Amino acid sequence: MMSSWQLEAEAPAGRGVTARRFRLDNGLGLITAIDRRAPIVALQTWYRVGSRHEKFGATGMAHLFEHLMFGQTESLPPGEFDRLVERTGGESNAATWVDWTYYRLSLPTRDLPLGIRLEAERMQRLVLEHTPVEAERDVVTNERRERVEDDVDGWLDEQLMAQAFTAHPYRWPTIGWMEDIRALSLPDIRAFYRTWYAPNNATLVCVGDFDEAALLDLVASSYGKIEPATLPEVARIVEPEQLRERVVRAPKPIATDRLLIGYKAPGQDDRDWAVLEIVATLLAGCPSARLYRRLVIEKELASSVDAQLTPFRDPSLLRLAVTAARGHRADEILAVIDSELAQMAAQPPVKAEVEKAKAIAETDFWTSLVDVDGKAEALGHYETALGDFRKVSELAERLAAVTVEDVARVVRSYLNASRRTIVIAEPESEAAGEDGEED
Amino acid sequence: MPPVVIIEPSVDTPLVWFDVAIRGGASADPRGIEGLHRHAALLARRGAGRRDRAELDETLDSLGAAVDISVSRDAVTLSGLALSRHLDAVVELAADILAEPRWSEDEHARLLRETPQVLDEIRDDDSALATRWFDWVCTPGHAYGRTSLGTETSIARIERTAAMELWRREVVADNLVVGLAGDIDEATAARVVARLVERLPTRPRPEVVLEMPAAPSTGRRVILVDKPDRTQAQLRIGHLSIRYGHEDTAAIAVAEAILGGMFSSRLMQEIRVKRGWSYGAGCGLRRSRLPHWFEIWTAAGIDVAGPAVALTLELFAEYAANGPTDDEVDFARSYLVGSMPFHVATARQRMQLAVRDAVFDLPAGFTARLPEALGALAAADVRAACLRCLRPEATVTVAVTTADLARPALEAANAGTLTVVDHDEY
Repeated sequence: MMSSWQLEAEAPAGRGVTARRFRLDNGLGLITAIDRRAPIVALQTWYRVGSRHEKFGATGMAHLFEHLMFGQTESLPPGEFDRLVERTGGESNAATWVDWTYYRLSLPTRDLPLGIRLEAERMQRLVLEHTPVEAERDVVTNERRERVEDDVDGWLDEQLMAQAFTAHPYRWPTIGWMEDIRALSLPDIRAFYRTWYAPNNATLVCVGDFDEAALLDLVASSYGKIEPATLPEVARIVEPEQLRERVVRAPKPIATDRLLIGYKAPGQDDRDWAVLEIVATLLAGCPSARLYRRLVIEKELASSVDAQLTPFRDPSLLRLAVTAARGHRADEILAVIDSELAQMAAQPPVKAEVEKAKAIAETDFWTSLVDVDGKAEALGHYETALGDFRKVSELAERLAAVTVEDVARVVRSYLNASRRTIVIAEPESEAAGEDGEED
Repeated sequence: MPPVVIIEPSVDTPLVWFDVAIRGGASADPRGIEGLHRHAALLARRGAGRRDRAELDETLDSLGAAVDISVSRDAVTLSGLALSRHLDAVVELAADILAEPRWSEDEHARLLRETPQVLDEIRDDDSALATRWFDWVCTPGHAYGRTSLGTETSIARIERTAAMELWRREVVADNLVVGLAGDIDEATAARVVARLVERLPTRPRPEVVLEMPAAPSTGRRVILVDKPDRTQAQLRIGHLSIRYGHEDTAAIAVAEAILGGMFSSRLMQEIRVKRGWSYGAGCGLRRSRLPHWFEIWTAAGIDVAGPAVALTLELFAEYAANGPTDDEVDFARSYLVGSMPFHVATARQRMQLAVRDAVFDLPAGFTARLPEALGALAAADVRAACLRCLRPEATVTVAVTTADLARPALEAANAGTLTVVDHDEY
């Protein structure tokens, strides 16, 4: 019997594009958005499983699947998945983060049925055997070497999360700790697949030039008979309030000090998240931003400064990344950051400054929706991390509504030294004997 | 002469992108003053017309706009992004940068202090460092061996007056390629282009003569860039090959896809899938106006760096000599033709490809028509192009890794004479 679709929601997803969410009987979500500007489609499958769903001691499991899912299935021999996609001119890739894993296919419109067939196949019939798993384990350890062990920015990022979080699973890296990656067992890998890779834990997002009715029929016939899984209850882990500044320093083979500072920030669905996004822009998100001007241009203490608010479901971090200029040290930079934040808290920015950040946010919003892949990523992220794709537009509205008073309030509430973690990488020759942690 | 103008309207967002490419680029830097084009362009961006740097930044940011500078071997490009309701104001600022930079003494001095620190950031990044060294050592005497950033020594030699003279000489309407894309109609685009160039000199564009080696280099070489505490070797292997637009361009596009341009390519399968030695491996011809490098890249665990180089060279030699099979050519052609819609899906992509073709002095639509050329290729054409354009006997290998650990295996890799250099000496 053919499964039936329920239309659950619809909302604009850019100029002239409407996104609609449907649900199949077995729980599979499907978001469609028709954009006929090119004869292509972005087909993405978002699973509500990321590194936060892993167990302590088995980190890196979610990310390992980002690799394994391109392997053998019951009907596809090894390598066939990529060959089928590439023969069309399409591309495939995947990404894993704390709250989700998603699989991306970019296909010519005529090959959308192939994409649906491949995604349905690997959702239920992935073959997990010793030899291919070991091969991908080696690849992942090399990926980790390239992105963390031999990359100072990767190391800083990993250390920041490990120090800033003491209870929440955001404390371990998405790629996993090296010893965990090496120890993941085949039975545990198979169990992870059976647990999380199921229609009721996934949302397909299809954006581009396609016939919606035909797609609904195709997805229903390809996925309708897949049984939903019994999804485990995900424990709600609340990170204890941070009461003291945490500092870690380590020597690295680098030219000058590098700092990564993380201030505790709310989850992306919190009303203050949009305000902090504006604050991040005011601090280091544009050439006229306060910290950029102070640290890079006026005082020449730093060669670069960047601010990023992580878009996580649960409370996370507003991060400031700074590279020290030659002859200057991390402590000088920290003093300027503290001074600037104190000034911002004491004397709120004028309205024009906040309006500037809002104009930049408006440009960024539209830039994220330029192509079909970008639209699909935005829809998939908000649907998967926050439970509703319509929050793409809601966030834009929240950003546009931020006031000077909002900015002053969140700077006082969140950007305190006691709520921050600092990781500093120092040149090896200058850091002898300074390795360690301060608290 | 007016500039070459490319317009790609699209109303899917309220954004307009514009690129103003100034032909010349880093390969035209005077010998010993490498980095001059970059310096001149960044300095021009730091204050123009009636605004100093801070005022220019503040005005652009307040409009939610950006005007950025990029420097390639072949062009300096001023790239703008604006909400369409602010387009006129942003174009006015870009026109100031093109026509009336302030050439601030303070900003000149600050930029001279800043640029060496960009070198530091590259030295901290193994992949960027490998590419920088590979560019330098691949083909001595080739203009593309010039670093766009400069060296500590060459940066120190840059004078403000030289930057001003370069801008005066090269920023003339005849030397520009202007591309516009997004929420803009033809009439507005014409007005914008006129505004961008109306204060620029009308004299002919300057002739640019670039250095080329008298003869291609021969023999294999290895440059081991020694950096402490590495767990991997960042590897670049390649040689001077053809220019983008050469009659073998389509055939080499197929050849590079088969060797290292897809996940199912030979390098990816042999190095990553079969052996797990690396997260990835690929290859490609650098797209440029003059003959440029054919380059293979991977990053292998330090314990397998030597075997990875040996295997790569073996695969490359076999491929150059025998070329791909008929089935491989059929597959790659299908991939490349099918992938073209993804490269031209947005107005901005179409504009940027057309601007690049114009900077390379290629016929209009050259890249967009590549699928036709690909369709006409026979497998024998690709094999013949491999023989002509791939030179495994003349490869340069750059390995950024820890010499103590990797040197013996690299010496045994049949990759040629090995020289060890320190990671921060260039």
